[in-house]
Amino acid sequence: MMPGSQVLESFEPLFAPKTIAVAGASATSMSAANVFIRRMREFGYSGKIFPIHPSAPAVDGYPAYRSLGETPEPIDYAYISVPAAHIPKMLASAAGRVRFAQVISSGFGEVDEGKALQDELVAAARAGGSRLLGPNCLGLYSPRGRVTFVENGAATIGTVGIISQSGGLGTDIVRRGHARGLRYSAVVTVGNSADLGPNDLLEYYLHDPQTRVIGIYLEAVKDGRRMFELLKTHRAAKPVVLLKGGRTQQGRLAAASHTGSLAGDDRVWVALSRQTGCILVDTLDQFLDTLLIFQSLTPRADRPTREVAMFGNGGGTSVLATDLFARLGILVTPFARPTLAALEALKLPPGTSITNPIDTPVGTLQQEEGRVAEKILDAVFSTSDPQALVMHLNMAAFVGRTKTDVMGNLMQAALRVQERFPGRAHFVLALRSDGEPDIEARKREFRSAAIALGIPVYDEMMNVGWALSALAAHERFLARGMLDKV
Amino acid sequence: MSPTQMIDEARRLGRASLDELSGKKLLAQFGVAVPPSVVVMPGEKATGRLAGIKPPYVVKVMSPAILHKSDVGGVRVRLTSAAEVDAAIGTMLASPGIKGQPLDGFLVEEMASGGEEIVIGGLRDRQFGPLVMVGLGGIFVEVLKDVAFRICPIERIDALEMLDELKGKALLEGARGRAPVSVDAIVDVLLKIAGDDGLLMSLRDEIAEADLNPVIVSAHGATAVDARFILAPNAGRS
Repeated sequence: MMPGSQVLESFEPLFAPKTIAVAGASATSMSAANVFIRRMREFGYSGKIFPIHPSAPAVDGYPAYRSLGETPEPIDYAYISVPAAHIPKMLASAAGRVRFAQVISSGFGEVDEGKALQDELVAAARAGGSRLLGPNCLGLYSPRGRVTFVENGAATIGTVGIISQSGGLGTDIVRRGHARGLRYSAVVTVGNSADLGPNDLLEYYLHDPQTRVIGIYLEAVKDGRRMFELLKTHRAAKPVVLLKGGRTQQGRLAAASHTGSLAGDDRVWVALSRQTGCILVDTLDQFLDTLLIFQSLTPRADRPTREVAMFGNGGGTSVLATDLFARLGILVTPFARPTLAALEALKLPPGTSITNPIDTPVGTLQQEEGRVAEKILDAVFSTSDPQALVMHLNMAAFVGRTKTDVMGNLMQAALRVQERFPGRAHFVLALRSDGEPDIEARKREFRSAAIALGIPVYDEMMNVGWALSALAAHERFLARGMLDKV
Repeated sequence: MSPTQMIDEARRLGRASLDELSGKKLLAQFGVAVPPSVVVMPGEKATGRLAGIKPPYVVKVMSPAILHKSDVGGVRVRLTSAAEVDAAIGTMLASPGIKGQPLDGFLVEEMASGGEEIVIGGLRDRQFGPLVMVGLGGIFVEVLKDVAFRICPIERIDALEMLDELKGKALLEGARGRAPVSVDAIVDVLLKIAGDDGLLMSLRDEIAEADLNPVIVSAHGATAVDARFILAPNAGRS
């Protein structure tokens, strides 16, 4: 394995390229490469752009060059979107002047008739001295380098590093993730991974100080053993969330032994997760939800999350969430006598349930501009010791009923209680909307405010449950590491 | 013979797997307990050769052509004397599924005393290299597929977590009036098979699949009663 500093240095030109070549942009029409150039300009890319074009003197206002070997300066990152058959020759002409070439075009190893061309592509990249990303991908989003393959990529440099074997899903991850509050250090689509693949980027993110959480969408891994060893060596120092496609395929029909016949494709991924602490998820929603909790909260190996206090408006929601959480190993345990006594002493209005979950009608929450919530939470934390506080607000119930910002007050109340009991409980918020435009708008605004304060916000309690159970699994793995060393 | 010599020898004979005796020798070399045994060739007598092996005895036919020994009447258990062993071998030699097959001999073993049956397996994954499996014997593996896999090498904590993952784990702890068995003994076998310098890692290019089925575990220890090692088709060595 390369030392960390060397890994970081070798990838620097990819994530913060000073010079970019673009092949496939047209002088007369609008191709994907033209769109890429426009997006780069809009994103505020400050380096140099060199279009590669066989004949045009200029493309989109930039002087164009005939080949990768003829640009006035060496290229850190080349975006290549020309017909597949032309690409090997183009890469071979780079003459050691292109550090990274990302081949967007398809027609390679993903189809039978393209397999030979993909081998040719790899050989040409090697001969031309470039490292290759793709082919059959969509590009790179790196806010630190102002590179984006998605429209309106967010400029904020975040802490979540993504590797996606699917380009389309990569777009979803950037855009949907951003809407949910995720802030990325980078998103790389790796497509067929003919040369550089998920493991290389995983190694980079494990060393990258900007990246604190890693998410991988994987369809096929070429060297599972290396992934296992990378993850094992780093002992879950950064949470790694793995969305693995194709886990239901039957891969071992030819097994000769009993053991062989029992080893479905899925077993090894479960094993990987158990042994390295990486979190295995099944859906894009779970992937984003899990990344968000790790982006927002610091896992606590000394107190793995198990018991939570649940607080909000909506009795049925609380009951259903309690059931779901229990199935996920997260317990909403009824409060013991001292806590109940402290809550009873608050003399809350009728209709308020003070066992855990605490169910408070909006009327109660509105009292004293939401400061009742602070008293409730104070009573809970001074008499009991849950590892997380989940607050759920049914937003429709607040709208039009109050002049003051009750929701804002509630969140502030929870934060103040957090400060008075530091290191005690993770704080997670569910903002439940009925989908009406005004409520959605309010929710978006409120979500941004909460995310800025480091509070992970979810749409439904189901999402909270998934995320908390992933956090808990990660914390238990870290705790297991501590036991190991005793 | 060293493990690799044994494997080379099997390959030289054109075998796709190790015979049971070689498999057990292999296990013994990695510190896994196997029953004391002798091999009786066709035409030989067991009488006078069973010193050091305590009754009751088990007799199993060894033939590269016979995959499922029980199906052809090639396994007899609870034999109490050398004379019974000889009679059993005589019967096997005459039975239609065995007669005329190439024979490596008859394995005569001390019958393991009672305990829970577990299964330990190994598998070389194309992407991840050697994997190890553990499950409870009988219907738990066959019907319920109640097994746990890990990527080799495993550590002690992995072995313990593998057992925790089994739905039938309570049976090892003495559910339904059974005697609890030694979890330490199971962990010990798992580490000898799948640990850092265990069998599967040491022979990672040689072994394609392995079944230790069953391993009999008591309160005091674990013994591999049957072992099957399928060789990797194209090992890197010449």
